[in-house]
Formats: sequence, structure tokens, C-alpha cells
Amino acid sequence: MKSPHLDYDTLADLAEGLLEDDRVASANAHLDTCAECRERSADLVDVSRLLAEAPLPSMPAELAERIDSALAAESLHTATVVSLEQRRKQRHWRVLSAAAAAMVVLGGGAAVGTNLLRGGGSHDGSASVSSPVTDQSGQAHHPLGGGPGGTAPSEATGAYEVVTSGMDYHAASLGTQLARAVGDRARHLAVQQGATVTSVQQCVAAVAKALKPLLVDQARYDGTPATIIALPGPSAGRFDVWIVRPNCTPQDRQLISHTQVAG
Amino acid sequence: MASVSTPRVDEVPDKELLARHAQGDPHAFAELVHRHRDRMWAVALRTLGDPDEAADALQDACLSAFRAAGRFRGDAAVTTWLHRIVVNACLDRIRRRSVRPATPMGDDATFDAVAPKMPDPTDAHGVSLDVRQALTHLPYEQRAALVLVDMMGYSVDDAAAVLEVPPGTIKSRCARGRARLAPLLRQHRNRRDARNVGGVEGGGAPR
Repeated sequence: MKSPHLDYDTLADLAEGLLEDDRVASANAHLDTCAECRERSADLVDVSRLLAEAPLPSMPAELAERIDSALAAESLHTATVVSLEQRRKQRHWRVLSAAAAAMVVLGGGAAVGTNLLRGGGSHDGSASVSSPVTDQSGQAHHPLGGGPGGTAPSEATGAYEVVTSGMDYHAASLGTQLARAVGDRARHLAVQQGATVTSVQQCVAAVAKALKPLLVDQARYDGTPATIIALPGPSAGRFDVWIVRPNCTPQDRQLISHTQVAG
Repeated sequence: MASVSTPRVDEVPDKELLARHAQGDPHAFAELVHRHRDRMWAVALRTLGDPDEAADALQDACLSAFRAAGRFRGDAAVTTWLHRIVVNACLDRIRRRSVRPATPMGDDATFDAVAPKMPDPTDAHGVSLDVRQALTHLPYEQRAALVLVDMMGYSVDDAAAVLEVPPGTIKSRCARGRARLAPLLRQHRNRRDARNVGGVEGGGAPR
């Protein structure tokens, strides 16, 4: 602009304190007398306001799932490099990695929802948890034949289902949530990924000792991935609940909380 | 035994999560990403403009960060570090992009007039779309600076840390960017704009 008016660049520099002192003085003097330039200056303020007011986009669920899967695959790929601590035997390690991958896939509520949708056609517990692991070294578990309510079956070995309800458990509502989950198991997806289940089973065995779990749910607790293990409580209608992180192992249970609640 | 023995994962500081990841905890990094994903996504989407490219860039960034976590320098905030990786992944995309190399690089890119081909301002998400559209007219460096400072609320110093340039450069890029956006977004000024009085936001185009 050839007029003494101030262009956007000059005004933007002025606002950022980038003009030299003498130009600041003359620019301010001009602004005092020129409504048009004050208007342009306000345009610049509005630019920042419009930018700030743009709604923060949420990451699309499918992208979150895709990234979780990519990270899970990467986790498997680099597992032997990254972890020295947990690596004991090769087979044992693969089992842990499989659990890791499965849980990462389950990591977001949206991802769980997708899995539920995909598995919606079959209520017989067919697994829909995708895992890049092909290792099937784990023992297949025996689905519990007992009805809702979780009454102890006669099986001495304590067979139980590992479900992924997608529920986000909270301390305040734990009892009612558990009661619902235990009584409503038919709607859940059983995880049948052999290696995954084996890893969870090892964790459960360490926690449950001889007791048979009423519910093992790979879900969330206060928003973060967790395995909820509900054991029979000291009296009828009460649960002895262990909440552990997904990377629970017999050696390190990764306990989040241990409590007893009424169902 | 009845109480929590260790902090819950969502209470663990970012740096601790990163350290756990470096030690082999297979869940720590996913938790870190989960915690910051919306803001990382916002940075990528706004910086690149194109959702597909932003998705690819963000996945690249997450994997780079996953692998580079061991080299994280503890003196920076983890979010700064993460966002720097996102921004760099976006820059890589732009450099490799063969289609539509529309935006010139560099602060001193020619100030050629961009024809404001705005979408219909009465469109449902008019303002939002126009903001995104207008941003694509900026050189990458200016866009990245404005995304961080004006859109994400970073301080100039923090944005400088993310982009690894001096604070004065951030100020300059922001000033250039705002100056270029001002005429493009002027139609959305409903304040003191008689032509928009009583209308919905973006309801009246001055031209």
C-alpha cells in the first residue's frame, strides 16, 4: 500500500513487537487517527480468535485403532530388543507379547466397540480380537458351561471365560457393574486367542489361587485398560475383586486395586 | 492389600510412561499415545490439511516416537517432544508430496496473491471449513507456527521448542501468517460488520 495506511504485515509485526521503535511510534500515531487501519488491526485479532475457536477434532476411531495396531505390531517386532527384564524363555515371552498386542488393540473404547460390532452376529463367543500374533502355543481354555450368576461349577480345575465386555469399571459402581457383567455374560465376547488367554490365565491363577473366578474381564478401570478378576467373596453376593493391569504376570501382578464389594 | 499399591496408569507422568516403555513395558507407549492423541491429531490435520495424509503422518510419527523413545532428552516436556515428531512427520509428507505442491516453502516465499476461492460461507460448518481451507494457503512454516500458537494455545517459547527455531522466528512466522489469513477470513468477522448483523456466523459475505 502506498498510502500512509498500515498494511496487514506491518500491523501484524506491530502486534508481535517486531517493528523497530521509530516505526512503532509512527504506526501508533497513525492508528490513533485512522479508523480504517484500526479496523484492519482488528481483522488480525479476529484471525487469532477464529483460529483459537476452531473446534479441536477428535481422532477418528478407525485411525486410533490403526495406530494402536501398528504400535502393537511394532511392540512385537522389537520385543526382544526392548525387554530384557521380562524375557525368560522364548515361548514365555511370545505369550506375553501376544497379551500385549491384544490389549493394545483393545486399548480404546472405540476399538472395543468395533470388535463388539464385528462379533455381533455370534453370541457363542467367537473371538473377534485381532492380534498380529500367530503363535498358538497357548492352551485352549474350556468355556464355562455354567449358567448366568456365576455359581461355582463342579469342575475342579476352575475353568472360566475370559471376556471383553468393553465396560469401564469404576470404584464407586464396581459392585453393580460386576453383578451385571457376571449375570450377562452371554452378550460378551470370549477371547479365544490361545496365547492371550494363557497369559491372562497365568495372571489369574496367581491371584485366584484355588478359587474359580466368577468373571475375568479384559476391560477398563477408570478409563485405562485393566483386567478385572472377580472371585467369590467371603459371603454370598460379595465379590473379591482384583484389578490388575493388562501386563500382569505371576511374578508381577501389576495390581491396580484389590477390594471386596457387594454385587 | 485393600488399597492401591501403585499409581494408576492414568496418574503416571508422561516421562515415567516413556521410561517404562524404554524398559520394555508393552503398554506404556500406547497409553502415552492414547493420552495425547487428539491433540497430536489436531496438529497433524491442521498442519497438513488433508485427513488421509494427516493419518499417515500421524502413524509415521507414532512409530518414530515409539522407536526413538530411548533417545528422549529429559529436559523437554514429553508433549513437546511428541509434537515435534508429529510436525516433522508432516514436513516429511510435504516434502515427499508429489501431488499439489501448492504451498511454497520458506518464510520469504513470494507473497503472491492467493485467489480466495472460499467455500460457500453459508455452509453448515462454514467457519471451520474456511479456516482449514485458508490455512492451506500458507507456507508450511507459517501454518505450523499458527497451528501451535493460535490454534493449540502454545506459548511462543513452547512453539519454538517444538519447531526448533528461535522464538523470534515463531513471532515472525505467526505475524506473516496472520497477515495473509486476514483478508481470507475477513468474511467471518461478524463483529462491527454491519452486513453480518443479525445473521448467523459467516452468514454474510462482504463481496
